[in-house]
Amino acid sequence: MNTPKIFVGSAGWSYKDWMPNFYPRAQSKNFSWLHFYSNYFKVVEVNSSYYTYISPNMVNNWLQQIEQEQEFLFTVKLHKDFTHKRYYGKNEISAVKTNLDILKEAERFGGLLIQFPYSFQYTSSNVEYLQKIVHEFEGYNQFVEVRHKSWQHKNAKTVTMCTIDQPQIGESYSFNPIIGNQTAYVRFHGRNVEAWKDSLNNFSKDLNYETRSARYEYLYSPGELIEIDQKIKEIFDKVKKIFVIMNNHPHGDAIANAFELLYLLKERTKIKIPPTILTAYPRLKTMAEVEKLI
Amino acid sequence: MRTIFHLDLDAFFVSVERVINPALNGKPVIIGANPEYGRGVVAACSYEAREYGLHSAMPIKQAFRLCPNGIYLHGHHKEYSRFSKAVKHILEKYAPAIEQASIDEFYMDFTGCAHIYGSLFIFAQKLQNEIWQQLSLPCSIGIARNKTIAKIASDFMKPRGITYVLPEMEKAFLAPMPAESMPGIGKETIKSLHDKGFYTLGDIAATAEDYFAAAYGKHGLEMWRKSNGEGSQYLNTYGDQKSMSHEKTFGQDVLEIEKMETTLFTLTAKVCQQLRENNWQAGKVSLKLRYSDFVTLTRDKSIKPTDDDKIVYDTILDLFRKNYTRRVAVRLLGVKASKFNIYCEQEQLFDEEGNIRKRMLRAITDIRDRFGFESIKFARQQ
Repeated sequence: MNTPKIFVGSAGWSYKDWMPNFYPRAQSKNFSWLHFYSNYFKVVEVNSSYYTYISPNMVNNWLQQIEQEQEFLFTVKLHKDFTHKRYYGKNEISAVKTNLDILKEAERFGGLLIQFPYSFQYTSSNVEYLQKIVHEFEGYNQFVEVRHKSWQHKNAKTVTMCTIDQPQIGESYSFNPIIGNQTAYVRFHGRNVEAWKDSLNNFSKDLNYETRSARYEYLYSPGELIEIDQKIKEIFDKVKKIFVIMNNHPHGDAIANAFELLYLLKERTKIKIPPTILTAYPRLKTMAEVEKLI
Repeated sequence: MRTIFHLDLDAFFVSVERVINPALNGKPVIIGANPEYGRGVVAACSYEAREYGLHSAMPIKQAFRLCPNGIYLHGHHKEYSRFSKAVKHILEKYAPAIEQASIDEFYMDFTGCAHIYGSLFIFAQKLQNEIWQQLSLPCSIGIARNKTIAKIASDFMKPRGITYVLPEMEKAFLAPMPAESMPGIGKETIKSLHDKGFYTLGDIAATAEDYFAAAYGKHGLEMWRKSNGEGSQYLNTYGDQKSMSHEKTFGQDVLEIEKMETTLFTLTAKVCQQLRENNWQAGKVSLKLRYSDFVTLTRDKSIKPTDDDKIVYDTILDLFRKNYTRRVAVRLLGVKASKFNIYCEQEQLFDEEGNIRKRMLRAITDIRDRFGFESIKFARQQ
């Protein structure tokens, strides 16, 4: 069996509730979360770029923080103006591209995540719109996430359609690894059906972090991870790269599951895991090559 | 001559619990009912718990008396099913034919595969290692020319054993084994065998076939044949589940017939719901009845294949009324369906009433699938 390059990480890294489960409570003044994170994972998905146009200074600052890592990639989520509001112009395109180019130049660019909402169903006008967006960002690796079942079994040669695992409500797209452009991009949103349903009732309301995050609150069980591992391995022979992104971020569940999947996908080779997460998630102890706190 | 593997996952439920929580390693772990309530039985227990004399199906109260410091868990049943599927996924890479006998038992037919895999004993070790490395689940494997001997062999060297019964060595292998080692022999039969001086499979094999036919009927003949190394060589590879059942252990033993019949009604509804979800119809239904003194009886009846609650319930009720003969409280009731046919979607011409009922049952199944079993119920006639 060929083993592709495997990049496992999380959607975002800047969560206060990852402390002390992942980030240590005692932190020096210059302690960098991204630096700490990059000691363990080789990719991170930037999600803040969905809500705001990030300044190039900030991107350069990130690059400095991960400087010591030979292999570390950023994937960047496209701003909601393009996918949800569908209202953008030249300035917006340029603001996005500037940052992508900085990452590309530094050889730290993994790809652009273009995530559409559940309401974006498979229709000819939506296909046309998707093509338009894909065209706007030609030359950049693109990962397209759609959530409605009508897209299931649809594929494209030049972009990678995302494989997603999400609560199965209504006509939701179900988990089934897809390949495009010799790459697979797999995102895990958790399977918290009840909280997800609640969140649909609060849709578009101004919510605090806890309420907004509740639907992602889910720790995948060892059995679920084994099933996922076996399904992902079925496409090993067909891809060169696999990105696995955990979005079930509350309390650090995403980090615990990311370590577990990394361990399974790497044929159970012991991995570097910080003592913080082992305290919070003792079941990870069997897979840890334990190290002291930095 | 065929080569059958029987793979049995060692203390399966406990092994899965240990993946979920590694702190359980090396400790006496018991999966089953909550001992605080003192009802129900042990579903599975670790080898450490077995050292205290515990075994599956033992009343939980007795288990707690023998091993009060054990770790009692209700269990993560969905996880067991996921891990079982994961094992099958590994086996499917190698085995030309697989029969899943239960959540933790698999028969595989490797006839002629020595050309591909080399020594099948070494191959069994590889399989065992792969399941351990990929899933952290220990298992034992028995290899023989038929299913019965393969199953006895997998049980012979547990845990993590591999036993290969070479062709022509079957009788020699079976002869010293206790009669209890034969699958499918219940406590009552064992007691009767012991009373008659049969302690080992060799004792049974050495006696005339006619005697067993006379003393135990059809079941006796089968026992005699199995003791002589005979057994089924063919796998049920369609993934067919052989039966489905629901049981209820009462919180307190029950004497009220009305309560028992209501329970049977609910159990029947659950079984029929499951039948319809699988698109199956049952050709046989069985009643299980356990009195408070643990005397247990099972009675079954063949019926025209159906998934209709009313037909199944009427049959079960009939069995119950005929067989609940002692004036003793009841501890457990169970309803089982077996001998499945695949439900044919085609409706019968000219049977409008039957077709309406079928459609109604399908609609109920769909409603329950969406909103849960309790969302809609049949009314029971008195």
